[in-house]
Amino acid sequence: MDLFLQFLGNTGFGLVDWRNLVMIVVGSFFVYLAIAKKYEPLLLLPIGFGIILGNIPFFKGFGIGIYEANSVLHYLYFGVTSGLYPSIVFLGLGAMTDFSFLLANPKLMLLGAAAQMGIFCTYLGALALGFTPQEASSIGIIGGADGPTSIFLTAKLAPHLIGPVAIAAYSYMALIPIIQPPIMRLLVTKREMRIRMPEMRQVSRRELVIFPVVGLILCTFMAPASIPLLGPFFFGNIMKESGVVDRLANTARNAIIDTATIYLGLTVGASTQGDVFLNPKSVGIFLLGAVAFSIATASGLLVAKFMNLFLKQKINPLLGAAGVSAVPGSAREVHMMGQHADPTNFLLMHAMACNSSGVIGSAVCAGILWSFLMG
Amino acid sequence: MYGFEAISHHNGWVAAATGACIVFAGLSTLAFLISQLHKLVNLFDRPPKVTVTVAPPEPPAAAQPEDPLDLERTVERYLPLIEELDAEFVLADLYALAQKYHLPHIHLSIRTLVEAGRLEPLGDGVFRFTA
Repeated sequence: MDLFLQFLGNTGFGLVDWRNLVMIVVGSFFVYLAIAKKYEPLLLLPIGFGIILGNIPFFKGFGIGIYEANSVLHYLYFGVTSGLYPSIVFLGLGAMTDFSFLLANPKLMLLGAAAQMGIFCTYLGALALGFTPQEASSIGIIGGADGPTSIFLTAKLAPHLIGPVAIAAYSYMALIPIIQPPIMRLLVTKREMRIRMPEMRQVSRRELVIFPVVGLILCTFMAPASIPLLGPFFFGNIMKESGVVDRLANTARNAIIDTATIYLGLTVGASTQGDVFLNPKSVGIFLLGAVAFSIATASGLLVAKFMNLFLKQKINPLLGAAGVSAVPGSAREVHMMGQHADPTNFLLMHAMACNSSGVIGSAVCAGILWSFLMG
Repeated sequence: MYGFEAISHHNGWVAAATGACIVFAGLSTLAFLISQLHKLVNLFDRPPKVTVTVAPPEPPAAAQPEDPLDLERTVERYLPLIEELDAEFVLADLYALAQKYHLPHIHLSIRTLVEAGRLEPLGDGVFRFTA
C-alpha cells in the first residue's frame, strides 16, 4: 500500500499544482481557438499544445522540464533563448514577402514607422509601472505585433519574461479581429474609410532585386543590433526575387520556416509552467501588451490622417492600422473594414505594403532598444 | 520606483523619443530611396543617346511599265533565254524558260517576236531565232 501511495505521489495526479491546472485550461483554450475558430492556427496550435505539455506535473530533478538542464525540451528551448528560431523565421518570412506593393507606393512605409510608436509609449508605461528598462523594452516590443521579434528581444534583454511576452504577443496577433476594428471605427470616419487608393504602378524585377540590398544596408547601418533579424529577412527576400535560387527560396519559405515555427511555438508554450508563469508580472505584461497593440494601431491611423493633410492624392487612413507587423492578419482586417464601408474598395494589397513595412520597422525598433540597453 | 519618477530615473523620455525619431528617420530615408529607385533603374535601362543623321531614303524611281510590244527590249530580254535552248526549239520550251525567270507578259512578248520575224517557224511547232 505504501508503495502504491508513493507511486501515486510521483504521478502527475499527486504532483499537480492549481497553477498547472489553470495553464492547462489556458492551453486547451488556445487549442480550441486554433481548431474550432481558426484563429491563427499556425501559431496558437503549437503554443496551446506546448502550454499543456509544459504544465504536465513531473518529478523535478530528472531532466524532464524545459527549465532543467539536459532535458530534451531544454535543448529545443535553446533555439528560443539564443534567438535562433526568430532569425530562422525571419529568413522564411523574407522569402515569402512581396515588396512590390511597397515599392510602388513608398510613402506607405511611413505608416509602418508610425505604428511602432506603440512600442515606445508602452516602454514608458512599463517603466512607470516599475519594470526595469530591459523588461520594459521586452514588453513594449509587443506593440510591434511581431512574435519572433518580441521573442528575440526578450531573449536578449529579459529572458525570464519570454513566456509571458511571447504568449501575449501571439495572443494579441490572434485577437486582431477583436482589438483593431473598434479602434478603427473610433478614429476613422465613414467618409475616410471610403477613400480609394490609386492604381499601383508596375514594379520592375530589377527594383525588387535591388531593394533587399538597399534595405539591409540602410537598416542595419542605422541599427546594427537588428542584423540577426533583418539579415536573414532580406537574404530570404533576395533569394525569392533574384529567381536564380528558387529551390532555396522554396525551402526557406516552406520547410525551414515551418520547422522553426513548430519548435518555436511548442517550446514557448512549454515555457509557461504555472509556477514560473502565473505571477503578477505576467498579468501586467498582458495588460501592457494590449495597451501597446492598441496604441500601435491608433498611432498608425492618426499618422495616416495627418499625412492626408498634406497629400494631394489622399490615402485611406485605415491603412495605418496595418502598419503593425502582424502579417497578414491586420492587412486582412483593414481590407474587410474598407469593404464594409464600400464593398467595391479593395485595400488588401496596399495594406500588405504597410504590413511589410511594419516588419522592417519592428525589427529596427528591436535593434534600437537592444543597442540602448545591451551590456 | 514608479510613475514619472521611474521614467526619468531610467532616462526613459530620452530613450523613447530618440528611438522613435531613429525609426521614423530611418524608414523615411528608406522610403525616399525606394521612391527614387525606379528612376535609377530607368537610367541604366535607357539606351545611350547617340545622334545619328540618317539621310532620308531617296524615293524609288518609278518603275518603267514593261511594254511587250517594244521589239528591241523584248529581244534584249529573250535573247539570253534563246541562247540556253538549241538552235531550233519549240515555243513551249521558250515559254517554260520565260516562266522560270518570271518574265512579264510572256504570251505577248513571244507573239511580238514571231510577228516581227525574229522567231522563224520551221514547221511542226519548231522555231529558230533570226538575228
